[in-house]
Order: sequence, then structure tokens, then C-alpha cells
Amino acid sequence: MRALVIYCHPKEGSFTSAVRDTVLERLTASGADIRLRDLYAEGFQPVLTGDELDWYLDCERNCAPVKDHVADLQWCDTLIFVYPTWWYGLPAMLKGWLDRVLLPDVAFVMPKAPGETISKGLTHIERLGVFTTCGASWWLTRIIGAPGRRTLMRGVGFLLPTRARKVFAAHFLMDSAGRNALSRHLRKVGAQTDRLIGGRRRLSSAKTAPAT
Amino acid sequence: MPRALVVFAHPVAESLNAAAHEIVLETLAARGWDVDDCDLYAEGFDPVLSGDERRGYHAVETNTAPVQAYVDRLRAADAFILSHPVWNFGYPAILKGWFDRVMLPGVAFQLTDGKLSPCLDNIRKMASVTTYGASQWRAFLAGDPPKKLFKRAVWGTVRPEKMRYIAQYDMNNITRSGCEAFLARVRQEMEAF
Repeated sequence: MRALVIYCHPKEGSFTSAVRDTVLERLTASGADIRLRDLYAEGFQPVLTGDELDWYLDCERNCAPVKDHVADLQWCDTLIFVYPTWWYGLPAMLKGWLDRVLLPDVAFVMPKAPGETISKGLTHIERLGVFTTCGASWWLTRIIGAPGRRTLMRGVGFLLPTRARKVFAAHFLMDSAGRNALSRHLRKVGAQTDRLIGGRRRLSSAKTAPAT
Repeated sequence: MPRALVVFAHPVAESLNAAAHEIVLETLAARGWDVDDCDLYAEGFDPVLSGDERRGYHAVETNTAPVQAYVDRLRAADAFILSHPVWNFGYPAILKGWFDRVMLPGVAFQLTDGKLSPCLDNIRKMASVTTYGASQWRAFLAGDPPKKLFKRAVWGTVRPEKMRYIAQYDMNNITRSGCEAFLARVRQEMEAF
């Protein structure tokens, strides 16, 4: 298993960094090859520029400014995001990673004929994990429609094989969270990571189901 | 004269978004609005909330300091218009960062005893003028995150008298007449704003 972990938080020592460590621990225990990208630490530049948009459809030129990230994305079969939810969505830093790295001919293929839609480009990725924290309550997040969760689980999820395995875990009401609730959540993150990487995958189990 | 803050996020001057943005500016000005054009790319807005800002996020006396000018512009507005493309079912990072850094506790919302209350009662009207690569059906299946963020989350902190969501879907398949129809719709909506 080749796992790419995209981590986005400005403060080391935050609860989000503990979530990251829990995920990494489980991945390591399973023997996965891991690549960790800490977007704040590496000073990722999240703003898609006019020049990049001018040659947006030219795959080679387009990938050049972010070629390491594109290589990681093409290398992995498991993609995991760990980040705080701000304004019900992804931090600008992480949103910019999507804008600049999920490129045409990398993450998706542009329509070939009028009336068509884009087609999937991340068909080599079999697992998607999303781990976040929210200041808002579960209820308020649901009422708003969980934009951040949907951007990743559906927006990015659309680019993966239809039957890719997906897991999500969020801790809500972060501003008033007690120590017990936080450690409970870390156990949940661990369990969800195990669920993501463990056991037989549905794709292969469907193929090997015994004929009766 | 009522004041309209137009927050624009697109880097390419020849884009449909830039054309829609121009129409928003000129139509509002012609209708007697004092227009504050906040072009995030042209102003070189830095969208990355820093570690220090995160530490001081909830300190309402000091949290506005790194972005004071942007907060002042927001507080001076009677109307608020977003003009931007949708990328990957979300706002461009530069615009998302404007929310992260400027729509702060004490500016956009107040958090007292874990209860949220809105702050931007100076704003009476708001609109979003936007374009999607995806079709409306695909955006619906994805849960249309940018629309929900605007119509629910932003609405909740503004509680405006009037809200318009003016979207062009399926940009990957748009024709010239489709572009013209969208621009005409933007003009019409801004005339009636």
C-alpha cells in the first residue's frame, strides 16, 4: 500500500497534529509506504496564477510548477487528508492544493466532445480518508450542508473509481471539547484508518465471491 | 450613497468571470452605488492564515490587526457581492483565504458561551456571481458546496433583506451565446439589485 497523507495545519502541537500522528501510526503498523506532505511546513503556495490558468490544458507545462506533488498523487493508491475545518470548508492552503495539483490529465480528463462531462483521472487510488475538526456542532454543520466534507468526499471522490473505499471522521465543537472526548476521537480516527486500510477490499471481494 | 463591496477572485483578464465582474462594477455604479472593487488577485491578497493568526483567532480586540483594511471595507459595506469561479467544488484558494482571515469572530460572527450570533448587520443585500465547470446535475450530486456555503453559512452571518445566487454551470460545454446570455442575466440582476 502506498499512502499519501496531505496534512494542513499551521500550529505543531494542535489536536490536528495528534490526528495526523494517529493516522501515521496505523499506516506504519500496517506496513504501508508513506509519503507525508505538510503544506504549511513546506510553505506551499496555494494561489493558482493567471499563467497557470492560461496553459491549464497543457499537461506538461501545467504540472511543472507542482511536479513533486503530482508525482506523489500518481504514486499513491491511498489518499488521506488531515486538516481543520474553517468556515465550513478547507483551509485556503489545502483548497489551493486541490486547485493547483488536481489538474487536467492528472486528476481528470476534459470532455472530448460537446455535451460530455469530465471523466475520472484518479482511477489508481483505491482508498480516500478524510479527517477533520470543526468548531461548529454536528447539527449546524449538517444544516449548512457540510461543504468541506462534500468538496473532498464527493468532489474529489468523483475522480476515484466508483467503488473506492472512503472513510470520514470529524470532531465537532472543538472550542469546548474536553480531554476525554478528544482521546475518544483519536481512537475513532485509529479505527477508521484501520477500516480504510484493513481487510479485504470490496472490489476484489466482489470478484472472488464464490459461485453457488 | 450606499456602498457595495465586490470581492473578485479570478486571475485572467479575458475570462468570462472578469467580464461578469466588469458588468457588476459598471451596472452598480450606474445605479448609484459607491462601488468598492476588491480584486484579490490584483491586490496580491495572501490567503494563508498563519500560526500566529490561528493562536489569536478568538481574541476579538486584536485578531483583525493583520487584515484591518479588509475588515474596514467589509464593515463599511451596505451590500456584498462575490464574483468568482468554482474550482473543485469550492472557492478558489485566494477567496477561501479571504473567509479564513477576514470573516473573523467579532467581525462576521460572535461566539458567546458556545452560541453563534451574526455580526454583519450593516449589509442589507448580497449576491454571488459565479461559474462552474461542472453541470448543474453533477454539482447537485456533489452537494454543491460553494452554493451552500454562500446561501446558508454566509447568509447566517449577514441575514440580508435580499440574496441572489447567479450561477453559470457547465462551462466546459458553453457556447458564445451561452456566455452572452449569462452576462445579460448578470446585468439584469445587478440592475434590479
